Amino acid sequence: MRHDRLVLTLIWRELSAGLRSMRRRDLVWIVAGGGALLAYAIADIVVALHAVSATLRQAQALWAVGLPGVLLCLGGFAGSAIARLCLSRAFAPFLKALPLSLMERRRMAAVAACALGVPLAFIAAAAVGLGCFVIAKPLAPAWGLGAVMLFGAGFGAAAVLRLRSARDLVLSDSADPVSDPGGRKPWLGAFDRSTPAWLSSWAWGLPAGRVRLSWRLAGAAILFGLAAIVAGSISLARHDAVPAAMAGLTGGLLVFMLSARFHPLGSPVLRTAPLGFVRAWLRLARLPLQLSLAFFLLPAGAALAAEPSAWAMPLASGFWLLALNGAYAVFAAYFMTAPFVAALSFLSAIAYASYETLEYGRTVLIGFAALVLFLWHQAQRRYRHG
Amino acid sequence: MDSSIDPAEILAVRGLSAGYAGRAVVSGIDLSLDRGDILGLLGANGSGKSTLLRAMTGQIRPLGGTVAIDGADLVRAPERAKSGFGLAVDPFDLPAALSGRQYLQLVASIRGCAEDDWPGGDVIERLGLKRWIERPIAEYSLGTRAKIAIAAALLGAPPLLILDESLNGLDPLAAFEVKRIILALASNGRHAVIISTHVVEAVPGLCNRAILLADGRMARAWHARQLAEAGKMPGVFEAEVMQALAVQAADG
Repeated sequence: MRHDRLVLTLIWRELSAGLRSMRRRDLVWIVAGGGALLAYAIADIVVALHAVSATLRQAQALWAVGLPGVLLCLGGFAGSAIARLCLSRAFAPFLKALPLSLMERRRMAAVAACALGVPLAFIAAAAVGLGCFVIAKPLAPAWGLGAVMLFGAGFGAAAVLRLRSARDLVLSDSADPVSDPGGRKPWLGAFDRSTPAWLSSWAWGLPAGRVRLSWRLAGAAILFGLAAIVAGSISLARHDAVPAAMAGLTGGLLVFMLSARFHPLGSPVLRTAPLGFVRAWLRLARLPLQLSLAFFLLPAGAALAAEPSAWAMPLASGFWLLALNGAYAVFAAYFMTAPFVAALSFLSAIAYASYETLEYGRTVLIGFAALVLFLWHQAQRRYRHG
Repeated sequence: MDSSIDPAEILAVRGLSAGYAGRAVVSGIDLSLDRGDILGLLGANGSGKSTLLRAMTGQIRPLGGTVAIDGADLVRAPERAKSGFGLAVDPFDLPAALSGRQYLQLVASIRGCAEDDWPGGDVIERLGLKRWIERPIAEYSLGTRAKIAIAAALLGAPPLLILDESLNGLDPLAAFEVKRIILALASNGRHAVIISTHVVEAVPGLCNRAILLADGRMARAWHARQLAEAGKMPGVFEAEVMQALAVQAADG
C-alpha cells in the first residue's frame, strides 16, 4: 500500500470498518429509513418550492446575495471541517514518529480534502440546479455551475487556511498540531465537560457528589432566578398567565437539560452492580428533575396568582415539562457521553415534530414518541449487553 | 552531516528538557549512544521515560536542548532524523481500521523500503504473527499489537531501534525472539537499541548500558562492566536500582 493517498485510505478504511462492525439488520434499517426520510424531505421541499415559485423567481436579493452567501458559508464550513478531519489523520499518533515532512502531511490531507469535497460540491450544484428547475428559474444549469464555483471557493479557501495552520510536531508548542492556535479546546467538547463533577455522583450519595458552591453555580442560580422573577412580574403586571407559564416550561426544560448527565450509565462499575437500567436512569434523573421543578414553581405560582381562572395553563405547562424532561432524559441516556449531541438531537426532533404537526396535526407526536421508545430500548440494551 | 560528529555515535542528546504545556517533565538530560549499544531505560511510573522518548522521537517539541539522530538534528532536519530510528508505537495508537499487513506496507512505503525488509529474516514468522497479519488491528490483543508495532519498527533495519515498554505484553516465545533480534542487531555493530522497561531483572542480561530516571532527571547510569558485574548475582541489579530510587526519594 503506497502512502501517497494515506489520509484518504485511512478515512475510507475507518468508514468501511465502522459499517462492517454494524449488524446487517441495523444497516438495512438505517439505509431504508434514511432513504425514505430523504425521499420524503426532497418531496416536501419540492412541493414547498413549487408553491412559492413565483415569489422566489422575483426575489432579487435572494439570487444576488442570499444564495451566494449561503453557498460560500456552507463551502467554508465544510472545507474547514473536512480539512481538520484530514489533518487529524495526517498527524495520527502512529505517524508522528515516522519520517514524513510537514509538506507531505499537508499534501496527503489536501488530496483527501479535495476527494471528499468534489462530491459535496456536486451535491450543492445538484440541489441548486434542481431547485431552479422546480421553480422554473431560467438558466438552471448555469445556476448549478455557479453553485459549484461558489461552494468550491468557500471550501477551498477554508481548507487552505486550515491546512496552512498545521505545524510540524517539533516546531509546535501543542502536542496536537491540528488544534486551534493558542491551545484552545474545541468548544463543543468544553460544553460537554463544563458540568460540575458532583452532578453525576450526587445520585449515589458519594462524597464526590456533595454540592460544592462555586461562582459559576451561583451565577447560574442568580441568572435563572432573575429570569423567573422577571417572567412572574410580567404576568402579575398584565394579569396574564401566559408569560410566566411559558417561562416556567422553557426555563424548567433548560435547567433539566443543563444539569442532566447520564455518562455513568456507560460505567462498568454501574453496569456490573446489581442495579437495573430503569433504577439507574431514574436515580440519575432525580436531581435534574428536582432542579427543574424548583425553577418551575416560582413562575407557575406567579401565573396562577396573575390569572387564577386560567389555572389549567400552569398545570398543562407542568405536565408538558414532565413529558419533555422525560423525553430528554431518554435522549441523554442514549447519547450518554455527548450531552451536546443529545441536546441538539432532542431540539431538532422537537423542532421537526412541531413543523410537521402544523401540517399533519398531532398524529406526528406518535412518531416522536416512537423515536423516544426506540432510543430507550437501545440505551437499555447497551446498558445490559454492552 | 557535520564532520565533527563521531560516526559511531547514533544518538546525541544534549541538555534536553521536555514536557507538556510549557511544564518540564524531564530536564537536563545528556545521553550519547553508540552503535552496538543496548540501553535499558528504567524508572518508576511518571518518572518521564515516555516523555523523554517522545521528545527524542520528535513527537513533542523539546523545551530546551538538542537531539541528533545519526548526525541529523531533530529540529532542523526532522525527516532525516526520523529516518534514523524505528519506534515501536504504543499499541493503542496503532491504526485499528487497517490490517497488520496494510500497516506494515504503509510504514514500508513511508520509510522507502520493501515490506519484508527486516534484519534477520521474516519477523512475521518469528513473532508468530502469520495468522493475524491479514486481520484488522482492531481485533488484535494487546500482545499481538505490540508484536506488529515491533515488526513495523524493525522495517528497513533503522540504525536506532526504540522500544517503549513494548516487551511487557509479549508472550514468552515472542519476547525470546525479540531479544534475539535485539542482540543480533547490536552485535553486528551497525545498530543501537533503547528499551524502556519495568522488567528490571531483564536488563543486565539484555543491555550493556542502563540509566535510571527519577523525577525527570537522570538518577543513575550503569556502564557495560557495571551491568555485567551486577548481572552475575541474581537480585543484585534490582537491589542497586531500588537503592538508587530510595536515595533519590530521600533527596526529595
